[in-house]
Amino acid sequence: MTSGLTPFRWPASWKDGSALAALDGTPFDCLVCEKGEAPDGVLAQARQKGMAIADPASPPSGAAITEGVWPGVQLARGQAAASSGPTGNPWVDSNGWKIRLESALHPGARVWVDAKPADGRVLAASYPRAIADCAAYGGRWIVTLDEGLAGGMAQGNADALAAWKRIAGAARFFKDHDAWSGYAPVAVLGIVSDFSGDNEFMGQELLNLVARTNQQFGIILKDKASASSFAGLRAVVYADGKPPAPSVRNQIMAFVQSGGTLITGPNWGPAPGTPSNGPDQPGYVWRAAGKGRVAFAQEEFSDPYALANEAVVMVSHRYDSVRFWNAGSAGFSYTAAPDGKRALVQMLFYTDRGVTSVSARVAGRYRTGKLWTLDGTDARPIELDLQKDAVELHLPTVSQYAAAELEA
Amino acid sequence: MHGNYTRRDLLRAASAGALLAGARLGRAAAPAGTVAIAKCKTYDPAELMPAMARMFDQIGGLGRIVKGKTVAVKINLTGAYTYRLGYAPLGDSHYTHPAVIAAAVSLMGKAGARRIRILESPWATTDPLPEYLLLAGMEPRDIERAAPNVEFENTNYLGKAKKYSRLMVPTGGYIYPGFDLNHSYEECDVFVSLSKMKEHATAGFTGTLKNCFGIAPVTIYGGNAGVDEPALQPGGGRDTFHSGNRQPSKSAPQERDFKGPKQDGYRVPRIVTDLVSARPIHLAINDGIRTMTGGEGPWIREADKIVNPGVIVAGTNPVNTDAASMAAMGFDPMADRGTPPFETCDSTLRLAEEVGIGARDLKRIEVAGWKSGDVTVDFAALRKERRARGQAGRRG
Repeated sequence: MTSGLTPFRWPASWKDGSALAALDGTPFDCLVCEKGEAPDGVLAQARQKGMAIADPASPPSGAAITEGVWPGVQLARGQAAASSGPTGNPWVDSNGWKIRLESALHPGARVWVDAKPADGRVLAASYPRAIADCAAYGGRWIVTLDEGLAGGMAQGNADALAAWKRIAGAARFFKDHDAWSGYAPVAVLGIVSDFSGDNEFMGQELLNLVARTNQQFGIILKDKASASSFAGLRAVVYADGKPPAPSVRNQIMAFVQSGGTLITGPNWGPAPGTPSNGPDQPGYVWRAAGKGRVAFAQEEFSDPYALANEAVVMVSHRYDSVRFWNAGSAGFSYTAAPDGKRALVQMLFYTDRGVTSVSARVAGRYRTGKLWTLDGTDARPIELDLQKDAVELHLPTVSQYAAAELEA
Repeated sequence: MHGNYTRRDLLRAASAGALLAGARLGRAAAPAGTVAIAKCKTYDPAELMPAMARMFDQIGGLGRIVKGKTVAVKINLTGAYTYRLGYAPLGDSHYTHPAVIAAAVSLMGKAGARRIRILESPWATTDPLPEYLLLAGMEPRDIERAAPNVEFENTNYLGKAKKYSRLMVPTGGYIYPGFDLNHSYEECDVFVSLSKMKEHATAGFTGTLKNCFGIAPVTIYGGNAGVDEPALQPGGGRDTFHSGNRQPSKSAPQERDFKGPKQDGYRVPRIVTDLVSARPIHLAINDGIRTMTGGEGPWIREADKIVNPGVIVAGTNPVNTDAASMAAMGFDPMADRGTPPFETCDSTLRLAEEVGIGARDLKRIEVAGWKSGDVTVDFAALRKERRARGQAGRRG
C-alpha cells in the first residue's frame, strides 16, 4: 500500500526535542534521519506524538527513496547567468522524470526524493517549489531545511517562521489533494527500455530530455510490457543497445501494425517493414508496417538530446501535451482521472519571481476548469479559450506552481 | 543628430559612403510605383481574401508577377515563439498572421504560381518550419492547402541544400559585400517579403525591408556561428549583425571594414539594405490588420499593446511599400536619424533609397486606397505619449 506519510528530515542543528513543536499542526508525520543523527530523546518524543521514524537506508513500507536534485534553473558555478542547453534555453533541474521512472519500477510505492538544498542555503521562496516539483509527479520531497532556515526557526526568527509556514502550507496542499496521485499520465510518446545496465544512460537521459520538450512521455518497461502499455500512444522509441526480445518485439510491432510509429535504429536488428515515404527527417529512413510506420535511424543512437528532439518532431508538435507562452523555464505534469472526463495539469515555474500572463495550451477537449495555487485554499475560476482539439488556459499572476483541474 | 557616433566613426562611415557613391542612383532616380492599402478590420477570410485580391489588382495584378514562377515568401516570425504580448496570439502582435499568409498563398496559386515556398529562419532551431508554426500556435495545413505545390523551409541553417548560396550586393554594400544564404533565396524566380507592420527598437520601423534581416542564417551570422565554417545548428540571434563584435564565419563574405561604427542603430539599417540589395524583393506586403505598439516583439521594454489599424499594404517596391506603411502609421517616411521613429538609428528607407532600391517620398508614389492623413491608429502619437510616460527603452 502506498505510503501516505509526509516526510521531514530532522535538521542536524536541532538538538532539543522541544523543536518538535514546530511540526505541530503541520502535515509532517514522518521524521527522517539517519542512525544517530537525532538524539534518542527526540525520537522518543516524536513517537509519542504519533510520528513515524524513517531511516533513508530502510524506507517505510509503501515508500521508495531516490536521490534527487534541488529543482530550479541551473546556474553555472560562479556565474550569475543561467547555464544553457544547446538551443540556448536555460537548463532546468527537475525530479519529475526520475519520480515517474521510480514509480514505474516500484508500483504501489510512493517515491520520496532525497535532495538537499543547493549550496547549503536557498531562497525561502524556493522550498514550496521543491515540494511541488516532486508532488506534481506523484512523489514527495523529504523536506530538508538549509542550516540558516533551521537555525532561524530554532531562534524564533520571524522570517524563518514565515518561510516555515509556507513550507508546511505547501505540504498540506498536496496531502489534501492526495487523490490526484491516482490520476494517470497522459502521453503520446512512449520510451521502451529496461533503463538499467548498458541502457541506463540512454534510457534515463531520454526521459529527462523528452520532459524538457512540450511532450510528455510514457514509460514502458521491457519486462512488464503489455498491450495496455501502448494505449493512447502515437509513437514509441526503442533505443536500447541490443535488439528486443521476441515478446517485446512482437508487442511493439503489434502497436505499429495498428497504426503506431516506432522510432528505432540499427540496435533493433534488421529494419522492420518495407521502404516508405515520410516527413523529411535527416538521419532516418521511413518504412511501412501494417497501418503504422517505422522511422529507422541510419546510424547507431549516441546522443539522447538529439534523439529526444527528433522523436518529438517526428511525432509532431501538433500532438504536444502542453505548450506554454510567457512561462519562462517551466515544467508540467498532465494526468487524467480513470474516467477520462477529468484531467489535471500541474504547472511548475522555475523562476523565483513568479510569472504573469502565462498561456498554456492543453491537448484535449475540456469545457470547464478551475485553478489551484499554493497561495490560496480555494480553487478559483480560470479563463479558458476552447479550441478544436485543445483548450488554452490564461493564468493570472502565479508564483511557482499552479494546477488546473479540467472537465470535459 | 549623430550623437552616438565618435568623430572617427563618422569619418570611417563617410569613407565607406564614398565607396558606394558611384553606384548610388540618388533619390530622384530611385524607382517609384504604385502601392495599395487595403482596409480590412479582421483576419476573417471572408473579409481578408477580397481585400487582398483588390489590393493586388491595384498594383497591376499578381499574375504578371507569379504566373509560372517559383515564388519564395519570407514571412515574419521574429523572436522565440514562447513570447506573447499578454495572452494575444502571436499573429495578433508581432508575427505575420497565418490567415494573411494563407490568403496570399491562395491568391498566388490562383494567379498561376508554379511553386510557393514559405521561408523563415525561426529562433534557434533546425526543426521544420511547419513544426515551428505549430509551436507558435499556427496551423501550417491552412497554408499548405491554400494552393498547389506549397513547401516550407527553415532558412536559419543549411537546410535541404548541400551548400549555402552566395548572393552579392551589386553596389558593393554598406557593411557586407555579399552574403551566404540558404539555397531557397537563390532558387526562386520571385521573392516576396510578407511582413508585420510595427515599430522596431533598433531600426525604428519594421516593414518589408527589415523583415529581410531574417534571411541571414544564424549559423553564419549569429554569436555562436562557426569561426571558419558555418555552425550546424543555429543558436540565438544575429549578434554579428547587431554588434559587429566578430566577423561571420570565414567561409562567407567578410565585413568591408571591420573597424567601422559598432552602434546597432548604424549597422542594422545598413545591413538590411545590403541584404535587400543582394536579394531583391519583387512583392512587398505588410500585415497591419492587428499588430503591436512599442517594438518588434513582447520582449522589448517599450512593448505596449495590441492595436487594430485594419490595413494591409502591398507594392512591387519594398521602399515604396514601407514608406506608405509608415505614413499609414502616422510616421513621416522622410524622417531620418533623430526624428521618430528613427530617434537613435538611421532610416533604412533613406539608405535603401540612396542605393536606388526605391523611393520613399510619397509625392512620387501613387498610393491606391489611401489619402494623406488617413491614419486609423496613430503610432507616432502613441509613441510620443508612451515616451512622455517614461516607458521608453531599448531591448528588453
